[in-house]
Amino acid sequence: MEQEPQGKVVVPDPSADNPPAEPVPELRPEDEAIVAERLRELGYIE
Amino acid sequence: MQAKPNIILISADSLRANHLGCYGYSLPTSPHIDAMACHGVLCENVFAPAIPTQPSHTTIFTGLHPLGHGVVAHGGKARLARGTTFLPEILLEEGYTTCAVDTLFRERIWFGRGYEYIIDPSLRHLFYASVTQEELNEAAIHWVRTVPNGKPFFLFIHYWDVHYPYVPPERLRGLFYNGGNPTDPNNHALDQWWDHPVGAMARDTWLRTEKGLVTDPNYVTALYDREIRYLDEGIAALEAALEQMGIADNTFVVLLADHGESMTEHRICYDHYGLYDCTVQVPLIARWPAGKLRARSRLAPMRQLSDVAPTLLDAAGAEIPEGLDGSSLLKQWKGEDEPSGYERVIGLESTWQAKYYLRTKQHKFILARHPDLLGNPDRELYDLEADPEENHNLVSEQPQLAAHLEKELEAWIAERLETAGRTQDPVREEGAVGVDIWLKHRA
Repeated sequence: MEQEPQGKVVVPDPSADNPPAEPVPELRPEDEAIVAERLRELGYIE
Repeated sequence: MQAKPNIILISADSLRANHLGCYGYSLPTSPHIDAMACHGVLCENVFAPAIPTQPSHTTIFTGLHPLGHGVVAHGGKARLARGTTFLPEILLEEGYTTCAVDTLFRERIWFGRGYEYIIDPSLRHLFYASVTQEELNEAAIHWVRTVPNGKPFFLFIHYWDVHYPYVPPERLRGLFYNGGNPTDPNNHALDQWWDHPVGAMARDTWLRTEKGLVTDPNYVTALYDREIRYLDEGIAALEAALEQMGIADNTFVVLLADHGESMTEHRICYDHYGLYDCTVQVPLIARWPAGKLRARSRLAPMRQLSDVAPTLLDAAGAEIPEGLDGSSLLKQWKGEDEPSGYERVIGLESTWQAKYYLRTKQHKFILARHPDLLGNPDRELYDLEADPEENHNLVSEQPQLAAHLEKELEAWIAERLETAGRTQDPVREEGAVGVDIWLKHRA
């Protein structure tokens, strides 16, 4: 049945308290080529 | 106001329902999606009858169970039969101008059916899932601006941000991770993932950082959640553009996911196989002010993704074809009908595993057509009320219930195959299409 939604509308600031020690994952172009090649092998992409 | 609403169908690939605030998540991953749910309607218990992407989207666009359309595997051999009802084709006949901002048609040609326009910004990338919400929005908003006044449009937009690899913008660094060392070489919690070809691919590419290999699953989960947050920003930007164009009120926006994502549950790491709720339960949220959807509604009955096509056709004033497995939710969303749903949902997968599930409000029964490579038993039974995370297999404790549900499942499969005019179970025929590659990887 219908209930009151629990959704939040407060938007926190993502830039707050960024720990500088965190790594930054990225998909380098050479890595993207590997991902595409591997997924093609898997049949996920053609 | 134009008689027919514009329709925007948003598919957020791999977006797990319970990682959204409006589905109970404790972290603020989705403030704008939550607001959308507050202004519209939300279905709490929606399930994918097929996973992953290709079979699930085929169900979304046909309104058919996968045993009806026959596409049960991602990358499988089956093709959608010509003449099968396909949502954009009907909307085109109904006078809509139709556009997909999507890449699926490059993988399987039927995903291009019925579209006058297909825009694929992912062509700028080597791997299509690298395309960002910003790139898709730019293309989509530009296209919407070209639609003549008074002409209803159907736009399908398929976001890939939440799909692996999880590489959110650097500006979101720090969100949702409570410290620790993401690259601790003594943490071996992710080692099990390297056993799978997709895990090995992650290890060899996007998990390699300047600080070393990411080893902390909590950190990978935080990256997934940041991608949701990034997607959330994109949906907010799309809605803002509709407002700015003055068409938001009469645009029926439906947000869903094709499947969820397993974080590390059931030894399935950051992928979308396994028929557990983390992967088969999906969000379904709609907003349409001029359509008088009953704002702030949450509907609890079980529904499935095959309901989406008939619901959109209903909103467009089109005749809903006979023989669909799904049914329209529109009257319920308008508050004209009492919320109702299915007593059970039956679904399947045939990609990394070959299995069926039967889900009732209280129980989940999973039946394997082929042994899985994780070593799970061929039959699993869970009490979802007592064990919502599906950790305690009750097959040996409740053999009669398991046998009853198996009989019910097999009877339904046989009946549905007969209705579809099929003599073979496509899950048996396709098997688990990724198994040979997985075995080769292990070797």
